[in-house]
Amino acid sequence: MVALGALFQLSVLTFVPGSLKTGGLTDANFRAVLAPQYLRYIWDTIVLSALTTILTLLASYPVAYALARTPSARVRSLILVLTLAPFFTGAIVRTYAWMLVLGQSFIKWPVKLLFEPEGVLIGLVHFSMPTMILILAAAISHIDPVYERAAASLGARPSRVFLRVTLPLSLPGIVSGSLVVFAWTFSAFPTPELLGGGRVKMIANVVKDLALDSFNWPGSGAFAVVALVVTLLVLAVTSRMLGREAAADGHRPA
Amino acid sequence: MVWLALVLLLAFPVAALAADPLVVSVWGGNWKDTVEKVVAKPFTAKTGIPVEFEVGGTLDRLAKARVSKAAPLVDVTFTTTHVGRLYISDGLFEKLDMTKIPNSKDLAREALRSDYHLGTWAYVYTIAYRPDQVQGEITKWTDLWEPRLKGKVGMPDFDPSHIITISALLDGGDETNWQKGQERLKRIKPNIAAFFATDARSQDLMKTGEAPVQVMLSINAFHLIGQGMNVKVITPADKPGIVGIDTAAVMAGSKKAAAAHEFINMALSKEIQEQLVTTFKAGPTNLKAAVPTALKGQPGVFTSPAEWKDRGYIMNDEVRAKTLAAWKEWFNANIVAK
Repeated sequence: MVALGALFQLSVLTFVPGSLKTGGLTDANFRAVLAPQYLRYIWDTIVLSALTTILTLLASYPVAYALARTPSARVRSLILVLTLAPFFTGAIVRTYAWMLVLGQSFIKWPVKLLFEPEGVLIGLVHFSMPTMILILAAAISHIDPVYERAAASLGARPSRVFLRVTLPLSLPGIVSGSLVVFAWTFSAFPTPELLGGGRVKMIANVVKDLALDSFNWPGSGAFAVVALVVTLLVLAVTSRMLGREAAADGHRPA
Repeated sequence: MVWLALVLLLAFPVAALAADPLVVSVWGGNWKDTVEKVVAKPFTAKTGIPVEFEVGGTLDRLAKARVSKAAPLVDVTFTTTHVGRLYISDGLFEKLDMTKIPNSKDLAREALRSDYHLGTWAYVYTIAYRPDQVQGEITKWTDLWEPRLKGKVGMPDFDPSHIITISALLDGGDETNWQKGQERLKRIKPNIAAFFATDARSQDLMKTGEAPVQVMLSINAFHLIGQGMNVKVITPADKPGIVGIDTAAVMAGSKKAAAAHEFINMALSKEIQEQLVTTFKAGPTNLKAAVPTALKGQPGVFTSPAEWKDRGYIMNDEVRAKTLAAWKEWFNANIVAK
């Protein structure tokens, strides 16, 4: 709360170019950061966060299903170890590794990935997958296999069993995982900073730019406040939409 | 009596080691290693005062200095000349007592940045490139706009003042009338491969070939050459490189101000400057310092008042500090944005 208070206070003080001192009260910082140039960064962040959430979900679900339902304990352990492995390397190390992979020095990619939104997206999805897998696997493992066996015994094909039984029953995990991934991607910093090469910026990168590169700490505070409000709004809307979806299937989000 | 003399002899070095250290704030990596080896060691040998370092980026250290203003944790700070202006504006530097820095009399006029901070070495932001990755030679700033360099150019985005000023100079402006270069700068966009925020990233981009042509710090280019990389660093034929001067200052409220002055005086001495030049491949600020033949005439290495004047462009610190936010905002909107 103290930090938030300091942030709000800073955001309404006048920026004095060429000085670290601040002037009197003003709303100029908010008018400046509500310009299209800055709103575009917020929009880019929303789009990248949404795409990251969707792609992470799609990539993680099969792994989570295998983790929860593979009969062999040895295979489950292997999947678990592989899932947790990225946690044991820091975000910076992982991102630097992606820089080598996405650049043209080791692999000649037909399209440019490094310093492009696509490259940032790949890094964000990889960063988010372990968490999504663990949340989904927990949700899937809580589904009693009796339901799936009952559907199959009544003649449903495996794909129909999955679509009509497993998937709806795992919706609480999908909602929780999606909200977690969306929220933390919204505040991502090292991945867009390094894989974006200055060309792909998300909210946290712009806050840093304003504060540490332009010395415009009041502007940085105002942008952080605007971003915070937008984040809370987007999360509230997403949470409500996903919660309604889960409730319609007779479940509440975890 | 003999044993008493022995005890005293042993006690003196111990007392020296136990003395309060002088804390020096400087960039990490090669910067800290060099200042430690070339300045701190002889300083400790002469005064008996040990030196400790606080390392970090230019702005991290500024932020730390701000929050510890009431009880400074640092005695001497090395920073860039225009960021030094921000320290001064916030009352973080102490006015220097030049009588305690007699070597300041031998400094190039350009190194006397203010009453609060003095230039310790110089370099230029110029063009460095990998000849194996580029068709033809690069000899001037305007080459950066040529179609043959499409998708090959890297430049700093944390501080775009160098390329903004160069673009303005090419179109008859300068850092004050920087708008004159805006249209030209917009035309360079197709050639830009990446932007970088740190020296380390700049060097990575050069090594991997992601940005084999860069607006680069001459010291970093020489560092890569020293590592055996095929990198050319040039003195552009059309407009000079943008001079950077790193400075040293005494922190306001330092309890070791006298030692801090002595440290700076030592860093500016002819002998230490000669070692700094050799190690950094930078320009000395003490005009009496001898420069190795191999370095004479290299970008950023100035040895006379005439060279300081003709071979580099020095931006006005105050204009730079005051306009940086506007430059950055314009640069992000018009050059960085896709």
